Amino acid sequence: MPRVSVGSSSVEAPPGQSVLESLLRAGVWMPSSCNQGTCGTCKVTVLSGSVDHRDSPLETLPAEQRDAGLALACQSHPTCDVEVTPAGPTSARAGEARTHPLRDLTATITGIEDVARDTRKVLLALPEPLAFSAGQCVELEVPRTGERRQFSLANTATEDRVLELHVRLVEGGAATERWLFADAACGDEVRVTGPLGDFRAPEPEADDGGPMVLLGGGTGLAPLLGIVRTALERHPDREAVLYHGVRHAADLYDRERLVDLENRFAGFRFVPVLSREETRAYRTGYVTEAFLADVSSARGWTGWLCGSPALFESGAAAFKRRRMAPRLIHREKFTAAPATSSLTSPLTSTGA
Amino acid sequence: MTTTQQPSLAWLDDVTMTELERNPYPVYERLRAEAPLAFVPVLGAYVASTAEICREVATSDSFEAIIPPAGGRTFGHPAIIGVNGDVHADLRSMVEPALQPMEVDRYVDDLVRPIARTYLEKFEDAGKAELVADFCEPVSVRSLGDLLGLESVDSETLRRWFAQLNRSFTNAAVDENGEFANPEGFVEGDQAKAEIRAVVDPLIDEWITNPGDSAISHWLHDGMPEGETRDRDYIYPTIYVYLLGAMQEPGHGAASTLAGLFTKPEQLEEVVDDPTLIPRAVSEGMRWTSPIWSATARISKEPVTLAGHDLPAGTVILQSYGSANHDTGLYDAPSEFDLHRPPLPHLAFGAGNHACAGIYYANHVMRIALEELLEAIPNLERDTSEDVEFWGWGFRGPTTLHATWEV
Ligand code: HEM
Ligand code: FES
Repeated sequence: MPRVSVGSSSVEAPPGQSVLESLLRAGVWMPSSCNQGTCGTCKVTVLSGSVDHRDSPLETLPAEQRDAGLALACQSHPTCDVEVTPAGPTSARAGEARTHPLRDLTATITGIEDVARDTRKVLLALPEPLAFSAGQCVELEVPRTGERRQFSLANTATEDRVLELHVRLVEGGAATERWLFADAACGDEVRVTGPLGDFRAPEPEADDGGPMVLLGGGTGLAPLLGIVRTALERHPDREAVLYHGVRHAADLYDRERLVDLENRFAGFRFVPVLSREETRAYRTGYVTEAFLADVSSARGWTGWLCGSPALFESGAAAFKRRRMAPRLIHREKFTAAPATSSLTSPLTSTGA
Repeated sequence: MTTTQQPSLAWLDDVTMTELERNPYPVYERLRAEAPLAFVPVLGAYVASTAEICREVATSDSFEAIIPPAGGRTFGHPAIIGVNGDVHADLRSMVEPALQPMEVDRYVDDLVRPIARTYLEKFEDAGKAELVADFCEPVSVRSLGDLLGLESVDSETLRRWFAQLNRSFTNAAVDENGEFANPEGFVEGDQAKAEIRAVVDPLIDEWITNPGDSAISHWLHDGMPEGETRDRDYIYPTIYVYLLGAMQEPGHGAASTLAGLFTKPEQLEEVVDDPTLIPRAVSEGMRWTSPIWSATARISKEPVTLAGHDLPAGTVILQSYGSANHDTGLYDAPSEFDLHRPPLPHLAFGAGNHACAGIYYANHVMRIALEELLEAIPNLERDTSEDVEFWGWGFRGPTTLHATWEV
């Protein structure tokens, strides 16, 4: 029996059923309205395989559209396995992201440095440059285990020779306690696969230089460093605020680098926030609260969130509360290690 | 008077228009269970209330279209919804070019998005709005008004016209002799038509000599021999169809979708976070509260047996698409709005050769309106200090929809 695939769903197409019917019967949504070939709502692009157009009316699906690979889902029947995608205009989204080819490389550790409590910066030199977008991550093979772990890159796209990772110790963790915080040493080889992920700086032509806010928890700072530096280099006058949330002052790192960035870019502000320690030097509380207190309207801003699930929830809610358009909210769920952000404190109300 | 055939359906004799307009669902739920095809005295016609019978009637060769009597009284002849054969084919060929998917793709974003933005700018910083009057209806009428060539008619007037035509079109109650029970109910429809003619006649005069890009100018000229135009009296009934249904329904549909989403805040949140879910929400919104609830009809061309009834030629059947879309044979808990229910086709746009000509256009108007609304106000909430009331039997939607948000 042929199969019909759309997006991540794939269903069987029993004989006598249109592409649309097969999908709907299997509970897979597909835009459709008239179900009789006259409204055009169910128009799809056939990405692979082929369909029999059957009774598709020429008024709804002219010959040149058939030639261009379009079909009406409600009228056409698959003749073999087909993959389709809705063809009508959907939400207007600026600047479709380019994909960089996924590569397997063998890197060499060239730096391992303690930068904060239980936090290390790891540098990996590549044999050749890797094309990626700031904010993306790579997967490392953990030696001796065959396991793989993803880590975000702190680099901008031009820093494509030496990858910078921020790693937080996880108790009993195969990649951290038993490797990067144990016997990993400069000169060791590491197998790297990347780039991965859709948390990434926009393409230059889709970046209008508008204001942005970035909330990072713990080592969730890493991809934000790549993104914010990219953004500021493109538009040096833009407004950008980076909130770094940790529990204690001892968890902070990279302050000099961020203060230096503040000095170079007048529109940039860096705000460290401690959730479990009151000091004179730093704000106390949670990054979302700090954002809500500082920013009365985030309309037209883009927002970037990297940290624990609690940070996404409260961060996205806070952004929307300040009227940031949801399509401008970008989220990276922490993949490297369990959340260590400021938002896991029992003192927390998540501010939304 | 023709009463119901079966004594067990005597309850139908007590059904009133007011009751149907307030909430038609209980009566139709009982009809679907007891008599999916039944003569309803107050409507003076048979009513098809299940999805199966509505679809069968709409697609059967034994039936053709007829305009329901109060509709015919309001629009006159030949309205596209009430004609058949060559006249229907000509009227479809007249309206379809501007509504073809490829054509709609070409203009719809540039037409609707700026209009949605304009209305949003009036209230997006106010922290509250009544979304039916402030947004859904104005976006619907302004978009279609500009498409038709009625830029000179303000949105308030277009909204008033469709409301007057609506109440006249659905002034369906008949007495025991089958005469209109409330003839005075047509007066406001007649007034609206007089106003419409006073505004549109001069535009038609102009377009006859200087063809323009507007839809109505194309209606006059397209497919006509050089130097000839369609007669205005021939196109006016279809202009009224547009100034009622096509003006009103995308507003109803968008408002019902929002009202539905307000019943499920977590689903609203999902749609806000992923605007690509908007078409699915709209589709469910129109199943949940179908804007054209029961406004079109069919008539048998020959004796026909349907749902166990032997019907003579000339039997009028009112299509209750709003009821068909609550058919428990197809939908679990149909009175609940549920973005994630199994995505079965619905009948909100009708079926057969008289199915809605504006499906593609309407779907995109509603999509763009909701995209812009939720983009500008991602923290939109229902104002729980105000009730949401729906009204209408022929056409149905929320009368008001109060919302609040933090600014
Ligand atoms: C959400 C909005 C709308 C809904 C739910 C809707 C629904 C319907 C329904 C149920 C019918 C009757 C179908 C039947 O009897 O089987 C109809 C007819 C029609 N609609 Fe729509 N409609 C909408 C918007 C529009 C718009 C915006 C236009 C034009 C721009 C339009 C143009 C028409 C026309 C021309 C007919 C008559 C078709 C015929 O009798 O051949 N509609 N519509
Ligand atoms: S659903 Fe209308 S053309 Fe397929």
